[in-house]
Amino acid sequence: MLNILVCVKQVPDVNLVKIDPVTGSLIRKGVPAILNPLDENALEAAVRMKEQYGGTVTCITMGPPPAAEALRQCLAGGADRAILLSDRAFANADTLATSYVIVTAAKMFGNFDLIFCGKESMDGATGQMASQLAERLDASQLSCVSLINHLDTDKNIIQVQRELGNGTETAEAQLPCLITVEKTNYLPRIPNLERWLNSRTAEITTLSAAEIPGLKAELIGDPGSPTKVPRTYPPQTGEAGIILNEGNTEKNVAKLVSLLGEVL
Amino acid sequence: MTSYQHVTPEIEAQLRNIVGEKRFMSGDTIKPDYSHDEMPIYGSYMPEAVCEAESTEEVSAIMKICSANKIPVTVRGAGTGLVGGCVPVNGGIVLSTEKMNRILGYDMKNLVVDIQPGVRLCDLAADALSHGLMYPPDPGEKTATVGGNVSTNAGGMRAIKYGVTRDYVLAMTVVLPNGEVIELGRSVCKTSSGYSLLQLIIGSEGTLGIITQLSMRLIPKPGMDVSLILPFANIREAVAAVPEIKLANLDPQSIEFMERDIVDSSAAFTNNKIFPTVVNGKEAGAYILVTLVGDSEDELTLKMKRLGEVAAQCGAYDTLVVWTDGLKKSVWSARSAFLTVIEAEEKMLDEMDVCVPVDRIADFLMFTHDTAVPYGITIRSFGHAGDGNLHIYCCSNDLEEDEFKKVSKEIMDKCYDKCREFGGQVSGEHAIGHAKKAYLRESVGDTVYSLMGAIKHVFDPDGILNPGKVCHDI
Amino acid sequence: MKNKNEYKDMWVYIEHDGKTVQNVSLELCSETRKLCDAAGEKLAAVIVGELPEEELKKVLACGVDKLIHVSGTGYDYLNTDAYSNLFTELCRKYEPSAVMVGGTVFGRDFAPRFACRLETGCTSDATELIYNPESGDIEFVEPAVGGKMMAVITVPVLRPQVGTIRPGTFKYQPSGERECEVIEETVNFPVDKIRTRILDFKADELDESLNIANAEIIVCVGNAVKANTLPKYRQLAQLLGGKLACTRPVFDRGLLPYQLIIGQSGAVVKPKLYISFGVSGAINHVTGITDSDMIVAVNTDPDAAIFNYCNYGIVADMDEVCDMLIAKLSEKKEA
Repeated sequence: MLNILVCVKQVPDVNLVKIDPVTGSLIRKGVPAILNPLDENALEAAVRMKEQYGGTVTCITMGPPPAAEALRQCLAGGADRAILLSDRAFANADTLATSYVIVTAAKMFGNFDLIFCGKESMDGATGQMASQLAERLDASQLSCVSLINHLDTDKNIIQVQRELGNGTETAEAQLPCLITVEKTNYLPRIPNLERWLNSRTAEITTLSAAEIPGLKAELIGDPGSPTKVPRTYPPQTGEAGIILNEGNTEKNVAKLVSLLGEVL
Repeated sequence: MTSYQHVTPEIEAQLRNIVGEKRFMSGDTIKPDYSHDEMPIYGSYMPEAVCEAESTEEVSAIMKICSANKIPVTVRGAGTGLVGGCVPVNGGIVLSTEKMNRILGYDMKNLVVDIQPGVRLCDLAADALSHGLMYPPDPGEKTATVGGNVSTNAGGMRAIKYGVTRDYVLAMTVVLPNGEVIELGRSVCKTSSGYSLLQLIIGSEGTLGIITQLSMRLIPKPGMDVSLILPFANIREAVAAVPEIKLANLDPQSIEFMERDIVDSSAAFTNNKIFPTVVNGKEAGAYILVTLVGDSEDELTLKMKRLGEVAAQCGAYDTLVVWTDGLKKSVWSARSAFLTVIEAEEKMLDEMDVCVPVDRIADFLMFTHDTAVPYGITIRSFGHAGDGNLHIYCCSNDLEEDEFKKVSKEIMDKCYDKCREFGGQVSGEHAIGHAKKAYLRESVGDTVYSLMGAIKHVFDPDGILNPGKVCHDI
Repeated sequence: MKNKNEYKDMWVYIEHDGKTVQNVSLELCSETRKLCDAAGEKLAAVIVGELPEEELKKVLACGVDKLIHVSGTGYDYLNTDAYSNLFTELCRKYEPSAVMVGGTVFGRDFAPRFACRLETGCTSDATELIYNPESGDIEFVEPAVGGKMMAVITVPVLRPQVGTIRPGTFKYQPSGERECEVIEETVNFPVDKIRTRILDFKADELDESLNIANAEIIVCVGNAVKANTLPKYRQLAQLLGGKLACTRPVFDRGLLPYQLIIGQSGAVVKPKLYISFGVSGAINHVTGITDSDMIVAVNTDPDAAIFNYCNYGIVADMDEVCDMLIAKLSEKKEA
């Protein structure tokens, strides 16, 4: 029986985030929080492994209490168990501190054979979490996996295809293995009514810092994060170009063609 | 027999004077797009001139010149129609309202928005939402103008719950063919004040007057919504579930049907394989897509459970819950792509937009398929199952245009006959234009048809407004 | 804990396949050279295994002060187990102030991993690197929140500062070879402890139309593009003798393959002419086009950010402009 972990994140829908033109700060109000889209593909891959080889899928996230909604979506999508790590002390964590909290807590739920992650989050987009989770779980890692070919349950070896940008690699790895998934072959399923109804009322295991045994205060949240963000600023825009204004589009296009004369 | 004048250089100068150089086109400078709408099979007709009006005053001035000179005027919004309604079949000028695209203001206490007719549907919908309000009509073509929607009384996906465009027009400013400006309706919800010329203008396809401003009714944005996909073995079983769903007292916002082939095409075309093709081990042949609204999750949950029971009784393979915004977007964008997909895959297209009683949908679809097969024509369809409004396309990739038109007409003749027999309407929401005139006459009968003609004559004695359309014969 | 000022040298990991060095490694050497100059530190290149002479020359030409040449077992193919171990050991031994790794698939896999083992900070995808003499830290400047914001990331206490940088972000500008100290290191990693194996590699068939990095003319479509009018833009690109490209959302919609993405998470292009249609101009995309000789933008929104980067802009419907350009160019061709 496989013990499968899916690490997910609730993110603001970055496409809907706006910047205050005066203060230059993010306007988060009214921006819906969603399950990180690439995590949906990771979940789908995990659920298919469970369906094929048997086992349980546990999803875990660190975030404020509303992040439970993202976990409910995972339960609707086929996960069996959901863990929410929520504490003010976790705030302002970078990937190093976050991976520490997640792995320390995950170990309370046994040893995982397979760990699935989205390639990167929509908001932070560092793409570092997977490697650091793998490191802390002492797992092998396979990134950019487009298809899981086979799992040898006797030898504990998983064989996959990876999309490397210039070609397709067939690779295998020893379990436990952390896998990040490409979306093409793992589109999330639409839950049926029964599953969805269950996901709305299912219990979500919620743990605070104090409830995770052995968690060291200096390694979590802001104190545990070696990277800092001293400042942010709106992207500098270049010099405004010449907007062609010859009367109508037809004439603008004609003007453009003449302006580009040499290049064309 | 009406005789029209041509746009002479003198008239051209006068028109140019009204709208200015930038918004006037004639001769070779006219874009070919102005000669057709989205159904090119009904022919291309170039106008002699195009005026892009920006105000009621300009429209009025243009009409004074055109009525004095008996020049045909065809009003055009975004040109997304499907029956040639905005196509200048008798030449003359095209009067474009696309530049009249301003949202003029909201009356938040009375839930009314004043707009110019060229505002695009998608822009009005989004702007209303940003004010916490909803513009309920939701026709598939989001880039159409609201003026165009009013002129065709467009329906759309949400008609089953909220009604059609007609139900949201409170008042309008109309320029009559002679250039006179009248106000119709008031921004109040009831009226019992004589003949409703307002209602007469709605759906009149620019044949009676030109709408230059609209007051549209809005409603508070509903709290939550959820869409559910019900996969079935085949279209007959899918459509048979619709009356049961309606009887379950769920007040759905929409009930759409879709056949497997078009779902597959849409998935391939947009690379959005959102509809599951195999459900619980069985191949789905058709789908029903239901949207429910409610004020709370509890309310929605109750409705969903009831829908699930009905679906199971009706033989649905499962009830799938489209809950997250991401899924909703995927599902509805796949649905919205249907017409685009058909246009992309088929060389020749002709369409029917009939509305039949809900319990006859399956019979009618079967009839169209059976009728088309011997002619080598493919039928592709989708539509609004909740109100019986079907979009049926005769398609071919093999036939030459003339041959296609000939056989398509034979099929259409038979189908419209069947539609009449079933007690249906020639058009649910795409209107008549010049393409469906003959079918309208057959459908309503000579008496009604000539009453329509008489009304047209009262408004437009010279027949210069959108000549040759709806009930106007030249 | 050791004071951060005691950590010396900035390292660049030179990724190679035994035949050629990854361009991104050369780009990073050039850029890190500038940081070293500003910080008064030495630039060290870390090369694992053997490299042909001419390739090595390219590396040294960046002004490398030190070459750490590694031999040993476990490095026959790229794997996170041996390489994470290697960098952990080397960093503990030599205590560099920074380690820069090219943001290739492999670099992005192993850099955060050894940074984690060292319990230090790791950043990714910076588009600008600035040395701050007051703090002594490198400021990694990167687009955040979908490019709506720029964030400065630092590692103010711990060392080394680890960063992965996307290919094409910086330029390879050899500043000249200088005296270079060569350090030979042997670190053996037991081969049987490597947990991943490569069984097969099938290179994508080289489809020239997908190779936009060196295209001289690029027609780029943004998220406003409609699926049914996409062929027009392909046609326009053909007429111009150029290539079609897109922004990430267009790829996300499944309309075009990932090879055609321009920007932070795609290709960096340097064409003579870049024409965008319906591109809003988010910074993630713009970082990929700023080296274009001529930028033309078409968008219906006069406030679109792309107009701030273009040489010429047209505020109009993209399909309309495309049609007109096709017509004009076809005319020209016939004439």
